[in-house]
Amino acid sequence: MTSRLAFQDRTSLAMLALLAVLLLLGTVFSIAAPQFLSARNLSMLLIEFSMTSVLALGMLLLILPGHIDLSAGSGVGLTGGITAVLIMHHQVPAPLAMLVALAVALLVWRGMGHIIVSQSIPAFIITLGGLLTCKGVFWLIIQNTTVPVSPGGAPNLLAILTTYYLPPRPSYVLAGLTILVLALLRWRSYQQQKLRGPVDKELQLLSFLVPAQVIALVVLCCGQFRGLPLPSLILLVVALFVHVLLTHTRFGRALYAIGSNEEAAFLSGIPVGKTVVAAYTLMGALVAVTGFMQTAYAGASTTTVGDLMELDAVAACVIGGASLRGGRGSALGVLLGSLVMACLLSGMSLLAVPPEARFIARGVVLALSAWLDVRLSKLS
Amino acid sequence: MSAPALTPNAAATAPVLQLRGVRKRFGGIVALAGVDFSLQPGEIHALCGENGAGKSTLIKILGGVHPTGSFDGEYLAFGQPARLQSVRDATQLGIAVIYQELVLCEGLTVAQNLFLGREPTHGPLGLFVDHARMRSEARELLGRFGLQNELDIDQPISTLGVGQKQLVEIVRALHQQSRVLILDEPTAALSTREITTLLALLRGLQARGVALVYISHKLDEVFALADRITVLRDGRSVMSAPAHETDAASVIRHMVGRTLTELYPARPLTQASTETPLLQVQSLSLAADKKSPLRLRDISFQLHAGEVLGIFGLMGAGRSELLLHLLGAWGERRQGQVLLGAQPLPWPLTPQEAIRRGLVLVSEERRRYGLLMDSSVGENLSLSSLSSLTRPWLPLLNEELEQARNTAISHKLRIKASGLQQPVRGLSGGNQQKVVLGKALLCQPQVVLLDEPTRGVDVGAKREIYEHISQLSAAGLGVILVSSELPELLGLSDRVLVLGGGQARGLFTREQAQPEVLLAAALSQKPAAAGAPTVTQEVR
Repeated sequence: MTSRLAFQDRTSLAMLALLAVLLLLGTVFSIAAPQFLSARNLSMLLIEFSMTSVLALGMLLLILPGHIDLSAGSGVGLTGGITAVLIMHHQVPAPLAMLVALAVALLVWRGMGHIIVSQSIPAFIITLGGLLTCKGVFWLIIQNTTVPVSPGGAPNLLAILTTYYLPPRPSYVLAGLTILVLALLRWRSYQQQKLRGPVDKELQLLSFLVPAQVIALVVLCCGQFRGLPLPSLILLVVALFVHVLLTHTRFGRALYAIGSNEEAAFLSGIPVGKTVVAAYTLMGALVAVTGFMQTAYAGASTTTVGDLMELDAVAACVIGGASLRGGRGSALGVLLGSLVMACLLSGMSLLAVPPEARFIARGVVLALSAWLDVRLSKLS
Repeated sequence: MSAPALTPNAAATAPVLQLRGVRKRFGGIVALAGVDFSLQPGEIHALCGENGAGKSTLIKILGGVHPTGSFDGEYLAFGQPARLQSVRDATQLGIAVIYQELVLCEGLTVAQNLFLGREPTHGPLGLFVDHARMRSEARELLGRFGLQNELDIDQPISTLGVGQKQLVEIVRALHQQSRVLILDEPTAALSTREITTLLALLRGLQARGVALVYISHKLDEVFALADRITVLRDGRSVMSAPAHETDAASVIRHMVGRTLTELYPARPLTQASTETPLLQVQSLSLAADKKSPLRLRDISFQLHAGEVLGIFGLMGAGRSELLLHLLGAWGERRQGQVLLGAQPLPWPLTPQEAIRRGLVLVSEERRRYGLLMDSSVGENLSLSSLSSLTRPWLPLLNEELEQARNTAISHKLRIKASGLQQPVRGLSGGNQQKVVLGKALLCQPQVVLLDEPTRGVDVGAKREIYEHISQLSAAGLGVILVSSELPELLGLSDRVLVLGGGQARGLFTREQAQPEVLLAAALSQKPAAAGAPTVTQEVR
């Protein structure tokens, strides 16, 4: 079968397989806990999924050129902590506080990228150092206390990140538009592929219908509760940005090229160092965005915000078909991978699975996905 | 598997190792086309030949790297058909091979490396390494080869010089009763003093009855050491004679004795014009990095528009390093400058900047340095020229233009692929090489640097690549061609620069550039060049 299918179609097949896994997970959880499929729970799931995804999309930018960021989770805590402390203890307006935290994240991540590239130290080590340092600085800043995101629960830009919902009616309009754009893009890519050679029509149709149905389903579901949560809109913007960045820009090509064969990329005139540092800087921005959302979702900055999120992000990438050796992976895959992780986490907390078992489940999923990654790269 | 016992009579007459009509192919490439080779007991047998003549393949067969069944023809070891499945089988028969790339654990000491994998043990179940015994046995071993002054058993390998590492490797290989020792260019990276030590060791081994096969490009060494010389060419043994019955000139003649075929497109000789040369290299002296000794010394040449400048040199002459340096991808410049047109090329330089200014490299070892193997033909073609695909008003790639451009270049170069979407891994060697060439041409370069552009490419594709090179020069580009294949170099170049021992050994016009002349220049051991590595030894 693989011989009949073009390379791209094989990746689409892997995506479909992932969807099957998701359906299975959903079925199991909804049977075990009927409230899993309630509009309210799905809305919470969407928020959690959005936060995991934004970080995982950033992680993809680093995994593609063969790097990794273990400090992401600590960074999420740190940026949220800086913002909350500035708002609560220094009466800084929320937007300004968020800007300061964003600037700090950009600087720190750019710095780490610079060290990794210029000293050619493995990313693993530097970001592991970053994990510990960020965590220490984070706890120092919040003084190991709980710092609420807004004084007296008054709404500010930080607090509304996870409390604002786009009302049902505009949500439907937005979803309709998104599906329309998706259809147009798919049609164009279908036309282009047809020029290059024979294409499996059914698979093409399926690869449009499935996401379209998912979007429609999500929006209709959310309409039953309060509408589309703001994080899902943030995710939409980030995902589109990353997707276009990866598939239609020089920067994206450079990331894939560096991950596939760094020496060849360098000799071909790709600015390897600059590209990687830029990827770290972008990661810093996405860490900050995730930090704001995650802290707002928790309602306050506490020492555990962001814990182990870097591992969920890596797992999401690998489950979504990215190779840890670099050079392979896509934004759509990462979204599906994050959905698997988010479903797993949310389902387990709904079933009141004890934390120790949750750790074990996450660990097994991470190891399994890495094993799958190796198997898959041997196949191709 | 126990080695057969040799009676004294049999040992005196029967060859230790013998190959009869051995053929070996790699895909479409014939590496050995019926080689006969025989090694007598206790002799030092030198194996000579140009790069790619089949020497490495031959010793890999002898050493069990290419197992029985992967080649045609007969292989007799100690009078019996050798059925080697692996290197281990060869070792057990007493055949040891030292390859050019040394395989020592850098972090371990000399003694630890000597006993790697067979450490003496003590304690219950032999659980603990007996360090005291290992050290005393190591010391004794070095003493047996007269190397106790050369090597310290407790020294980590990483602190040793190349020559000392070579000695460790040899002692390790001989550690168990080896009867045959095969060495692949053991002296290529050694200083004069180290070479002397090594040659003394080899003579000592010979006196103990070990038979040696010795590959070297240095003919003076070969004649000083060898009892017998065999020359390989195009996968055949074209000469095998006792060393005292032949001479260097005859060996060189046999190494190059090929006739130029119709493969090369006729090119009018480019007259060195009075215009400013496209590229001027002015007394470049280069080292690998700040601490390293000079790799290339005082190299100067000019390249004119429409000219093909060949660069010839043996393995390790610094040809690839020179090209990589021109692209800004290798080395530390100690002296000299490079002018592209009338403008000096800045240094430090990045490949990105070099390509932007019109200098592009088709690198050797395309799988390692040239291609993204799992990416598509299209992505590989565009890789160096993405900047010209960016739209002016949006930082997005113009994919229609990309498609059109890639389609055009793949038609022009006749790249055979199922489409631009096919991963390059699935292409033949020739077509992969055309993708690398296409990638370079899409940058619209002024100067094209070609490093072994036809290695591992079948004859048909070779011919096509030659035509493209010829067209490039006809279009007024400057081409620098590095090749180990003399006929190719002579068939295409207007002038040939010979590198050897880190120096320029002469610049020859097309009429002057006879194969024997070039090879003699590359092989010559000028005192200055031979002395250069000694200086590094002292610096260390």
